[in-house]
Amino acid sequence: MTAGQSVRAPINRRALGRALSRIADATVAEALAVLEGEARARSDGWRCGITGPAGVGKSSLVGRFVNARLAHQRRVGVVAIDPSSPYTQGAILGDRIRIDAHGDDAELFVRSLASRRSRDGLADNIANVLALLEAHDFDDVIVETVGAGQSQYEVRELVDTLVVVLMPGAGDMVQAVKAGILETGDIYVINKADRPGAKEMVAEIASVLRHPAGPEAWMPPVVLVSALSGDGINELDAAAQAHRAWCAQHEDRQSALVQRRRAHVRALVARRLAEVIEASDSTLWDADVASAYHAVVKALVYAGEP
Amino acid sequence: MTGILKGKRILIAKPGLDGHDVGAKVIALALRDAGAEVIYTGLRKTPDYIARVAAEENVDAVGLSILSGSHLELVKLTAEALKREHADDVALFVGGTIPRGDWEGLKASGVDCVFDSEMSLEQVVAEVARRLA
Repeated sequence: MTAGQSVRAPINRRALGRALSRIADATVAEALAVLEGEARARSDGWRCGITGPAGVGKSSLVGRFVNARLAHQRRVGVVAIDPSSPYTQGAILGDRIRIDAHGDDAELFVRSLASRRSRDGLADNIANVLALLEAHDFDDVIVETVGAGQSQYEVRELVDTLVVVLMPGAGDMVQAVKAGILETGDIYVINKADRPGAKEMVAEIASVLRHPAGPEAWMPPVVLVSALSGDGINELDAAAQAHRAWCAQHEDRQSALVQRRRAHVRALVARRLAEVIEASDSTLWDADVASAYHAVVKALVYAGEP
Repeated sequence: MTGILKGKRILIAKPGLDGHDVGAKVIALALRDAGAEVIYTGLRKTPDYIARVAAEENVDAVGLSILSGSHLELVKLTAEALKREHADDVALFVGGTIPRGDWEGLKASGVDCVFDSEMSLEQVVAEVARRLA
């Protein structure tokens, strides 16, 4: 695609912005209808997830990383997710301040999403949102999750490469070796390299990562980065390229797509469940837990099947 | 107030060279608490950037906070930039230190509503909700 860069049609920001709202706001039934009608997302695109606890500098890192990707003449779409209030549904979406501070790159598109009903650090219909960006000719699609502590598994199944961002001084090694954090990432970033203990943390994380199953397996690198100064971003970019090349050679694309589809179906069912619960009669909750459970399951199966 | 802006997306932006954004943040939080999804741009943004963000985020409204005295020029430029992004159908609000004598001029540039410090947060939120209904 790089050779065709100069003849590419410019991004139609207004049209794409509207299309993303339609898909992000869609009910499960509407989302399914769109999936039926839409061409499959391109198979040569690259999806990267950026996750990690709140405050580790994910957005600043994305801002730096995006510039590295743009320098490769790639068209980059970013989806940045922030939490919705469970009480008012309101949200402050502030990630893009740090992502596209200048906002004049013709090949960059940034969209903020609120997590809404989603409880997994992602957003409603996120799988459809990512597919829509791919279908709009983006080479790289980068998704930044809500600040997620120990539950970043859902994003794992939606992306090709998952970058887990950590920082020094945020809990001892017991936090890091708990199940999950050090099992899901393809690349680990220790951000805030200027802080005390950063270098030591790189060594500690590297020492407790799971060893690969065989000589051909991917061994996640641990990269020291300062999103503030930009130091280490080239190393992160190189690690991302290496992982992408490794996937192309070793990963079973078909089984990755099957995993992705399974995650998508699971997300749709979770959404549908939320819709059923929201639409249910409040008297349902007067019953005991078992009766309410059976009533909800029944409604999920029989009522208004999309 | 709760929930009257549920489902609405609003961009709060600061064009020009002001150094203060306490007012913009207070408004952003009030809109959030009324259920809106609020995108905040931070300080010192160009009209072109604000229009681009409005299009990418597909917002229902853009609220400009201006304290610098350059509101007539900045609003005109932002309205023109929104038009270039084909986003001139988005509601445009302005708040800050805006002399009453300039309100008509702003409205002539395409502003739907001007808010000043005499209005309570409840009034601002209610007026935004009324305009976006």
